[in-house]
Amino acid sequence: MSDISAADDLPEAGPKKKTSLLAQDTHTKKRNAAEARFKMYGLIAVSLGLLALVLLVTSILSNGLSAFQQTYVVLQVELPEETLDKEGNRNRDEMARVSTFGYSPLIAAAMEAKVAELGIEIEGLANPGDIVSKEAPAQLRNFVLANPEAVGSTVEFEFLANGRIDGYMKDRVTRATAELDKNVTPAQLDLTDQLEEAGVLNKGFNWAFITAPDASGQRPEAAGLGVAIIGSFYMMLVVLILALPIGVAASIYLEEFAPKNRWTDLIEVNIANLAAVPSIVFGILGLAIFINFAGLPQSAPIVGGLVLTLMTLPTIIIATRASLKAVPPSIREAALGVGASKMQTVFHHVLPLAAPGILTGTIIGLAQALGETAPLLLIGMVAFVREFPAGPPEGFFDPASALPVQVYNWTQRSDPAFVERASGAIIVLLVFLVIMNAIAIMLRRRFERRW
Amino acid sequence: MNDMRLTERSVDMSEVKINARQVQVFYGDTHAIKDVDVDIEDKTVTAFIGPSGCGKSTFLRCLNRMNDTIDVARVEGDIHLDGEDIYDAKVDPVQLRAKVGMVFQKPNPFPKSIYDNVAYGPKIHGLARGKAELDEIVEKALRRGAIWDEVKDRLQEPGTGLSGGQQQRLCIARAVATEPEVLLMDEPCSALDPIATAQVEELIDELRQNYSVVIVTHSMQQAARVSQKTAFFHLGYLVEYGETGQIFTNPQDKRTESYITGRIG
Repeated sequence: MSDISAADDLPEAGPKKKTSLLAQDTHTKKRNAAEARFKMYGLIAVSLGLLALVLLVTSILSNGLSAFQQTYVVLQVELPEETLDKEGNRNRDEMARVSTFGYSPLIAAAMEAKVAELGIEIEGLANPGDIVSKEAPAQLRNFVLANPEAVGSTVEFEFLANGRIDGYMKDRVTRATAELDKNVTPAQLDLTDQLEEAGVLNKGFNWAFITAPDASGQRPEAAGLGVAIIGSFYMMLVVLILALPIGVAASIYLEEFAPKNRWTDLIEVNIANLAAVPSIVFGILGLAIFINFAGLPQSAPIVGGLVLTLMTLPTIIIATRASLKAVPPSIREAALGVGASKMQTVFHHVLPLAAPGILTGTIIGLAQALGETAPLLLIGMVAFVREFPAGPPEGFFDPASALPVQVYNWTQRSDPAFVERASGAIIVLLVFLVIMNAIAIMLRRRFERRW
Repeated sequence: MNDMRLTERSVDMSEVKINARQVQVFYGDTHAIKDVDVDIEDKTVTAFIGPSGCGKSTFLRCLNRMNDTIDVARVEGDIHLDGEDIYDAKVDPVQLRAKVGMVFQKPNPFPKSIYDNVAYGPKIHGLARGKAELDEIVEKALRRGAIWDEVKDRLQEPGTGLSGGQQQRLCIARAVATEPEVLLMDEPCSALDPIATAQVEELIDELRQNYSVVIVTHSMQQAARVSQKTAFFHLGYLVEYGETGQIFTNPQDKRTESYITGRIG
């Protein structure tokens, strides 16, 4: 209660003015204006974010969607015995002596025959066989070595078209750019038009982009993500197998069992610091420890997985501890009160309640690891790998690539067709991330919906 | 408050269940409980009353070593349950808590089904062999918790979906399911409406047949209604301990009298 003398010091209040509820006074107006302003700022921030997202997605999709389409050339190739199997005994080892150079004339001949058969005459047309990919002789050779009995007959093949021709079909290459390009001539583009009309050349879904290994810089049309997807998948397996149990065990110990003293404080601070360490530092650490010291192979998913585990652990530990902390203490008391041991309390009651948070943290950590490039560059995962790694667990030690590294790799290459490939790889990476996040949300819902 | 009933109430002379001597509790540097001596009798309801922060809950939590879970808490002195020192190094607090059950201030059912809430204690203590026996234990506990009729048709529904009073009775059922010898109740009715409170109080009176019940309460009416013995705590001291009728009608200590008449607290 204020005493009367204090009230004397106040300015004369006078009788309170009668105000109408229908008219806003200045103070209310000010407050409402501030609120409206704040709402607008928020709206602007959200729209900016959305705009950035839309721009990003459109640019990636417009560049990359065409990577999932590929131009194929259908040709009937004669497989003459005199060049492919001189001895005539269909011995694979002897036939393997004929290199891809021995096969490319066959394709050129098949193309010339096709042009003649269709009655196409184009002025200045040279090397019509060049519209087929340089990958085609290898495809032909593999087929012949796998089916030696086919030698001597004529077989129909669906070859990849050359990257430039593929680019022409996707409107990336024009006659004007072809004039300046030594890899393709306008006459070959004319041939492309006519072959397309004749149905020899057509576009189809590019499964090879997802399943095939990388290809050299001269043949972007053959480059695929197969090895990178397997490498990334293996690394995620390693990370999941190692980081989840280690991270959850560490968090449970620190949160529920560890005494609170200077040592645990120190550990806590260091975990928080580790989460902020630049990822490339983990790459150097991996190089020094796992490759130089432990002698694990370079470019192997196991090393990548170990490095990413180190990187992901702090994220998982912090998320897990936060969700353990969020479990109300009354649940712990209730369990202890009926005579549960500490461990029973944690595993029967606390952990199930914290599970959605732990899962979300883990999947966010995994998604972060999936997109990580820098540490992988240092442990040799940037290498050009065409061999598929074996199945797990041996495959963990085989060289492989990774999705983000493959994107990085392709953006380094000079052929403009790799722009499309890199964007396509980003789409694949994003699809993987979206799938992982969807799984996280689904698991969360499932665990939370129970009560 | 029905004072007539108080004085008429007979108190059986029963044996001492818990005996505490010179108990001191420290929270870090704070001396929360000072020199408490008390004998808690078997098959009796003992009420701890006193103003907020006087240490009655703290002392209650000493009786089943719940204070162990607080890092800074330190307990000195002797507390004996049936003549055994519960703070002996050989005592596993988990075993102790199976004998000394506890009901908390806020109803805290597990986020599991009603059945699982009650069955949890018997399960972890291995009290039941087989499902049929467990069902029996759960039904018995829920009946003792005076909630069986309300939940018997929805045992698989979450315990958290019950009303506050039902939740608290479920927690009591959960506590008695492990067949404790002593039941500690820390302001069990503070979150309940008068009807639920009456139900819980009735229940406490029934529980007295089998257990020694210790109840912390802010409500002196409640202490007078349900208890046979009352202890008055003030500033960490046990000021007065005696039969409920005597404490409320003829307190020996000035402070008790002031508290009961509403002058302090």
